[in-house]
Amino acid sequence: MLTLTSPVETPLHRLPAGVKLAALAGYTALLFALQAPGALALAGLPVLTLIAGGGRVFAAHAGRMLRPLWPFLLVVAVWHLATGAALEGLAIGLRLVIAVAAANLVTMTTRLSDMIAVIERLAAPLTPVLPPRRLALAIALAIRFVPVLSERVTQIAAAWRARSPRRAGWRVLAPAALAALDDAEQVAEALRARGGAG
Amino acid sequence: MSRPAPPLAPDAGIRLDAAVVRLGGSVVLEAMTLHLTEARIGIVGRNGSGKSTLLRLMAGLIAPDTGRVRVDGIDPATDRKALLRRLGILFQNPDHQILFPTVEEELAFGLIQLGQGKAEALAAARQRLAQEGRAHWATAPVSTLSQGQRHWLCLISVLMMQPATILLDEPFAGLDLPTQARLARAFAALPQRLITISHDPAAVEAADRVIWIEAGRVVGDGPPGAVLPEFQAQMARWGAVDADTDLAG
Repeated sequence: MLTLTSPVETPLHRLPAGVKLAALAGYTALLFALQAPGALALAGLPVLTLIAGGGRVFAAHAGRMLRPLWPFLLVVAVWHLATGAALEGLAIGLRLVIAVAAANLVTMTTRLSDMIAVIERLAAPLTPVLPPRRLALAIALAIRFVPVLSERVTQIAAAWRARSPRRAGWRVLAPAALAALDDAEQVAEALRARGGAG
Repeated sequence: MSRPAPPLAPDAGIRLDAAVVRLGGSVVLEAMTLHLTEARIGIVGRNGSGKSTLLRLMAGLIAPDTGRVRVDGIDPATDRKALLRRLGILFQNPDHQILFPTVEEELAFGLIQLGQGKAEALAAARQRLAQEGRAHWATAPVSTLSQGQRHWLCLISVLMMQPATILLDEPFAGLDLPTQARLARAFAALPQRLITISHDPAAVEAADRVIWIEAGRVVGDGPPGAVLPEFQAQMARWGAVDADTDLAG
């Protein structure tokens, strides 16, 4: 299970999911309208305040969730320093960090089932092509199998290391993809055994 | 909680008439004819003997290439809706069976498939958890459950659909002894017809009838006392020679 929702209760937890998602969409659009690094930093202040307002544990969790961004920031920095457009690079970096921090803030303060309910409501016009039940099933399956797949990758990496002095790294990707397909087939069978996706 | 529906009288049980299954060109089940009506049935065989194919055939997950399969008079491969009320499967690996991120969603899914509303199904799931003394599990992420707890969740998910027959695929493989004992006790108390598929004679020694499958054929059929000694002797003979060199295909 993705333990993304923070157990630390903040006032934001009590806002309806739809309101938070709409605010996030508007806020992100605003970030893309701003070009100057100073203006972006200023626009980021409310997000920082809200994160800090959640207390030390909450803020530390929010900080950890930004860690996966560093390779992107590195690429942006290298590229813009090389092309001599440092200010522009700074703006892109700030925009990226603030937008992701704001999105994480919504994730951390919204129950998953509430989030799925909003998505189902938004997808209602698509009903003839994509019945809401099917969409809900797809979302649930995705959430269910993220930890299962990451466990699979860990197992394959361990099997690699058991017979190799070197770390497996990217080499686990091909066997992990094949294992995922194999798992998918088994899950499809289990789904069919209980009445299928319909 | 209502009891499982009684089997339909005239064509009750699972009936295979000369059912043949080919996979990738080779025959996996050869013209199999069986009529299963006992309350506790064991199907034994080596790895690759065709017993898993037989399970999938009875469950309607595959259709026979020729011949006929009926579960209480229902064609399991085509009439899926009717079959869901007659037959459930417990897969060997709970991680291949659990479809949902939380316990209550997993339990409610089968009821929704049978036509109940979502809210009603979730309420039934919580009620069942409360009956089993596990009310606090409702919103727990399934990934936090132990292996034994996952097996229990899979079993209850199937039981909530109230099938008359449950297929058990290697139900004790890889489980520690306390978990095996708990599961065996849970199975013994069930009113359903249970069909246990295993390579392990110990898993089926309490059955009313044991069927031994080898190379896609029935080579033994009768009470466990008549079938299992010869099965075990044959397994020991095969195990004594280094014969495991043939490749499939």
